[in-house]
Amino acid sequence: MRGFKKRLRAAGLCAALAVMALPAAHAALAPWSALRGKTVLFVTGGTDSATPNDDARVARHLEQLGFIVHTVDAAAPASDADGAALIVLSSTANPRVLGDKYADTPVPVFTWNTYDYPNLGLTGPVLHKDFEVIDPVQHYPDSFSVLYAYGANLTSQISRAVGLKAQLFGTLYLEPQTAGWGHPGPGGTVIADFKGMADHAAVFTYEREASLADGRIAPARRVGFYLGDDDFHLLTAAYGPAADDPNMRSWAIGLKLFDTALRWAASPPPPLPAYDPSALAARLRDAARGKKVLFVERMDAGEGAEADGHIVAHLRSLGFTVTVADQSDPQTRSRGQDLVMISGTCSKWKLANKYADIAVPVISLEGLMSDTLHFSGYDRYVDYGEHGEEHESDDPAENYLNIVGAWSPMAAGLKPGLVKFATDPGVLKWARPLPDAIVIATLPNEPQERAIFGYPKGARMAGGFIAPARRALLPLDNPTYDELTPQGSALFDAVVLWAVGG
Amino acid sequence: MIRRSSAARIGAMLLVTSALGASLAAAAGELPYRVLHRIPLSGAAPVQALAYGPGGKHLYAAAGAEVLSFQAATGASEAVVKVPGQVAGLAASPDGGGTLYVAVRAPARLFFLGLNPLRVRSSVPIRGGAPSALLYEPAEHALYVESRSGRTVARLDSADGKTVAVTRLQGDLEQMTGDGRGTVYVANAASDAIDVLASGNMKSLGAIPTPDCRAPTGLDLDPVGRRLFVACSNGTALIIDTDMGFAFEQLAVQKATGLRTLFAFHPNGPAGWKGGAFIAGAGPALDAIRMNAFISYTAAGSMPLPGRATALAASPAAGQLSIALAPRDGAAAHAASAADEPRQQAGMQILVLGSSGGAQ
Repeated sequence: MRGFKKRLRAAGLCAALAVMALPAAHAALAPWSALRGKTVLFVTGGTDSATPNDDARVARHLEQLGFIVHTVDAAAPASDADGAALIVLSSTANPRVLGDKYADTPVPVFTWNTYDYPNLGLTGPVLHKDFEVIDPVQHYPDSFSVLYAYGANLTSQISRAVGLKAQLFGTLYLEPQTAGWGHPGPGGTVIADFKGMADHAAVFTYEREASLADGRIAPARRVGFYLGDDDFHLLTAAYGPAADDPNMRSWAIGLKLFDTALRWAASPPPPLPAYDPSALAARLRDAARGKKVLFVERMDAGEGAEADGHIVAHLRSLGFTVTVADQSDPQTRSRGQDLVMISGTCSKWKLANKYADIAVPVISLEGLMSDTLHFSGYDRYVDYGEHGEEHESDDPAENYLNIVGAWSPMAAGLKPGLVKFATDPGVLKWARPLPDAIVIATLPNEPQERAIFGYPKGARMAGGFIAPARRALLPLDNPTYDELTPQGSALFDAVVLWAVGG
Repeated sequence: MIRRSSAARIGAMLLVTSALGASLAAAAGELPYRVLHRIPLSGAAPVQALAYGPGGKHLYAAAGAEVLSFQAATGASEAVVKVPGQVAGLAASPDGGGTLYVAVRAPARLFFLGLNPLRVRSSVPIRGGAPSALLYEPAEHALYVESRSGRTVARLDSADGKTVAVTRLQGDLEQMTGDGRGTVYVANAASDAIDVLASGNMKSLGAIPTPDCRAPTGLDLDPVGRRLFVACSNGTALIIDTDMGFAFEQLAVQKATGLRTLFAFHPNGPAGWKGGAFIAGAGPALDAIRMNAFISYTAAGSMPLPGRATALAASPAAGQLSIALAPRDGAAAHAASAADEPRQQAGMQILVLGSSGGAQ
């Protein structure tokens, strides 16, 4: 064991050097060549494994990918992972024995041990609600449905590398199979789901420093995958003439998705942003140079007009050229602009469907427009809503947000957890975006109510709409801008910087 | 990416080690087949090809430069026709009042034999090198002639033998099969892959890899289920979904060279089988894969063979599976003799198997 640990440490050192040598563009998804020779700790059921299982086949596959595989059973100490580049948890490992031993390990985890998801904080603890394993004996009809999954996310590193589309694909070859799903927390990213239900995630990830479902923080990347004990060999792939058929190629992507998710997990994560409002403002000033912003407001709004003026002034102070438009102005006002910001003073009814389909980044400060802008579904107070609005909300006024996506530049380097967004409790809007959104913050105690999020360009939005440019929600009801705390102001700047950045 | 089963391997080993001394029918208990006839052959040349005639009433065998016919029901010898060279392949068709296609190695020619009586009607030269195998696809009115030495596969018009197209492939070409609707598959032992050809123009459509299956030699297709059954020399059989090129099932079979595969009896196989793939070659046994459904196959056991298999044929109409056998040589023969096999191993022969019960 001592020798093994030495090798692991050596491999870890090599990995660290490899990471340093990686170009920045590859920081999120390393090339296979950079992963070759890295050590994988493969945790299986060992002699207790159910028969048949594919553990040996998986181990061989990992070796073929270039990893050095060290296989242990569930009882092995967590320290066995020291120096490893990746921990792979098979469903054959006893989750009761595994417990939470790898939960705090700062080594990426790739797991298809669905029953262990709660131990790792990947999902809540309730079977059938937070996670479930479908098998042909207990759930015969559903064991057919898990042969298909839906491309829920088109813009993650994994999705792009796989070429995932907003359509079904074949997960496993054609027989009723065992597969697991999980319902990750708001800090997770659903890559693919069963039945088009994002809370039945077939493949999901957590970036390092993302908030887990149980409130803990992911110490390294985490991936949940849908496999069962003995169906690795049935992960779909097309060969021969079928591989030349683009439809078949995009259908049979199970193995490619497995490999890519594995590769993502083992790749070094991007550097964590530091909370430094001055540096952030400086970067935003650089980004603002030569850029135009259309600020859409209800002119002469009364309440909120002063705050709108302050927003415009702030944007101008950063170097943006800001044009102010009235909510009733035509959408053509956005031509030639680099960003459209929709004020919370705008009337949803009057703004209608404007700016939803423009190929210009849009930041909405008004959450109630989430449906018209395709941010969420259409069910008011279910798909989107608000806290603190008199007569319109059952929820109390709020001035804190819960940061769940601290890893994203949109989080301004703020640490995960509660952050005081505004000085005093007030109205805060929220929406429930689709899995392609990057969620930065939720309302406290309301993990499904996402207050700050962004859709990358090309993301799948509500109603099948594809984002023609970046989209973001930043909940600033009429006067809230003037009440932002320094952290709230930093979030404002960070979201603007993200929106104009791509 | 395949499923492995050890059942067939274990079954084969048990049968080979414990039951070779018993009669074949008894040893074959695991398979729903019994030996209907044993047709001894007097010549020294092994049978290179077998084919049932239309309707399954006659069985044709090619040994050396002779084509022999037998009554399928009794195994009685009927006729012998000599051709000018060693025969590489046979195929029968109802066309022209009954035709037997005979591919001869040297000179490389395709002979058309009338069946009633059995006699040569005509012949045409074959391009692409000395033939090593012949495949007939009635739905395409096509014959496919493989040349192992020339590394070619030629498509011929089955009406007149005219060469339609020839393709050249790399590697070691082994058994071929076709789906009758535009695709021909060729096992390639050198590349561990199945070459896929468009039968219309004989252009390559790509290659399907045979993961974990080394040196594939045996190949047959269930054209309805679109499953390829591949037998490999390393003791592995694969079942491949041709629509995806995906090997979804892996089963253990005997380790042997020269394995040939035959899919037969779909949908009404013996003992409730929906079909079966049969594998035999230079090894000790006939291995069977049972089709339970299009997505479900199991190793169905083995039958020890008193010699090496040189050709396979089946007739759904006759309900028969025939295996041409030749004496083993070298170590294989020695091992077999230790198992009290020499009496059964003597000489060339054809075993004609039929259902031992159950629905046909």
